[in-house]
Amino acid sequence: MAIRTSIRGAEQDSARIGLIRRAIARMKAVGDERGYDWFAALHGVSLPIWCEHGSALFLPWHRAYLYYFELAMQTRLGPRFSRVRPADPELAEVGLPWWDWTSPASHSQGLPDAYAAETVDGQPNPLARTTIGSCPGGDAFFVGVWSAALVDAVRTQLEGSISPSGPPETVRDPDPPDELPRAETIDTVVMRQNTYGSFNMSLEQVHGDVHVWVGGSMSQVPVAAYDPIFWTHHAMIDRLWYLWQISDVGRDPPASLLNTVLAPFPMTVADTLDIERLGYDYAVDAIA
Amino acid sequence: MAMTSSAGAAGPPTGDGAIVHRDLVFDLSAGEEATFRRADLVVEGVDHAQISYEVRVFLNNRAADDTTARSPDNGYAGRFVVFGHGNCFGAAGHCDSTIAEPSAQSVEPGGGLPHPLAPQTRMLTITEPLRRALASPAGRLESLTFVPIAKAPRRDRRGLAAGLFKCGRISLRTYR
Repeated sequence: MAIRTSIRGAEQDSARIGLIRRAIARMKAVGDERGYDWFAALHGVSLPIWCEHGSALFLPWHRAYLYYFELAMQTRLGPRFSRVRPADPELAEVGLPWWDWTSPASHSQGLPDAYAAETVDGQPNPLARTTIGSCPGGDAFFVGVWSAALVDAVRTQLEGSISPSGPPETVRDPDPPDELPRAETIDTVVMRQNTYGSFNMSLEQVHGDVHVWVGGSMSQVPVAAYDPIFWTHHAMIDRLWYLWQISDVGRDPPASLLNTVLAPFPMTVADTLDIERLGYDYAVDAIA
Repeated sequence: MAMTSSAGAAGPPTGDGAIVHRDLVFDLSAGEEATFRRADLVVEGVDHAQISYEVRVFLNNRAADDTTARSPDNGYAGRFVVFGHGNCFGAAGHCDSTIAEPSAQSVEPGGGLPHPLAPQTRMLTITEPLRRALASPAGRLESLTFVPIAKAPRRDRRGLAAGLFKCGRISLRTYR
């Protein structure tokens, strides 16, 4: 069972944040469909762009996406979304942290320290940025996932979404911290929606606010998932869906949607509805 | 570069590519305006093919633009963000949603997935701003002004942008 805790809590625990960093760095060095870049590309370029936005599948699709990404972090993902015994037992239960962008800390300082720091112990912080299409130290069969032509196209069509020259790197240009979504908005608007459709739409809108708040790579669909903060942002979105699910007003998606396959994942909407069956839970840590 | 919609007779959208006007009919008669507990603005047919953008919504303020303070005094009702598809990275026709089969806008057995660029719907809860508008000297909701702001990756490239915000029907949904 993976416990997803807040990034602010994880930052207080050097061992836990160290595992998260190691898991991401390890994925980055895997040059096949268990690797970081392959997952990031599922959400954007290179084509096809699989992600669901503006549809009733927004929440289930991204839950499936995080589920398989987390399995890869845990070294429990095999080819074609199969599950395998963990290659690295120490990472077997690592959980994605969630970034509470409504918190007072976020509204005063913006990005979490764990994702903002450029270096950790003198080494590049794998949570701060990533070089796209690079598998440092790995068996990089997928190094060419972004052709030179694609790099040029992204730099032209989405200027500022990746570094302007050299190997393509993710970039950020965040707005002032207090422009992040407010807890009041979540509590009084989003969490009070009483149909799945209105909740899905309402939460997706807030989700978009945070994407454009971070700016740079995160602000545009084709490159957003390459920024490591994408995953902690979406863990927060998934957590809010879970909290709504167990609230008095929470509802399942319409029956007509339940058998829909969340391509390319071998999972239907119905398969995403119970996070306990998916092997993770959300918790809040109060560190003394 | 604002889109203004006003209460009145419905009509086709007009504009110069930057400022778009559309007449709307919002029937708040029969005392509904005095009794609603919640009001949502529902914007259908929202285009999301290009870069990300936000739309600031002002009530009864036709002069609103990107420099207008987002305050109740200015009729500010909130904003919504459109997370953009980022233009097309495919070959010719790849992102042309106009040639998608109509049935392909929903998931059907054997029908494939909906076209990813099918227009979206946005909903903005405007309960208190609407109450303020109805309590103003005008006594009614006369106009909506939509101010689209391009959310380019770099903050120094952001601002009003023509052609990003395109939408279809706009409706006001109230709950008693």
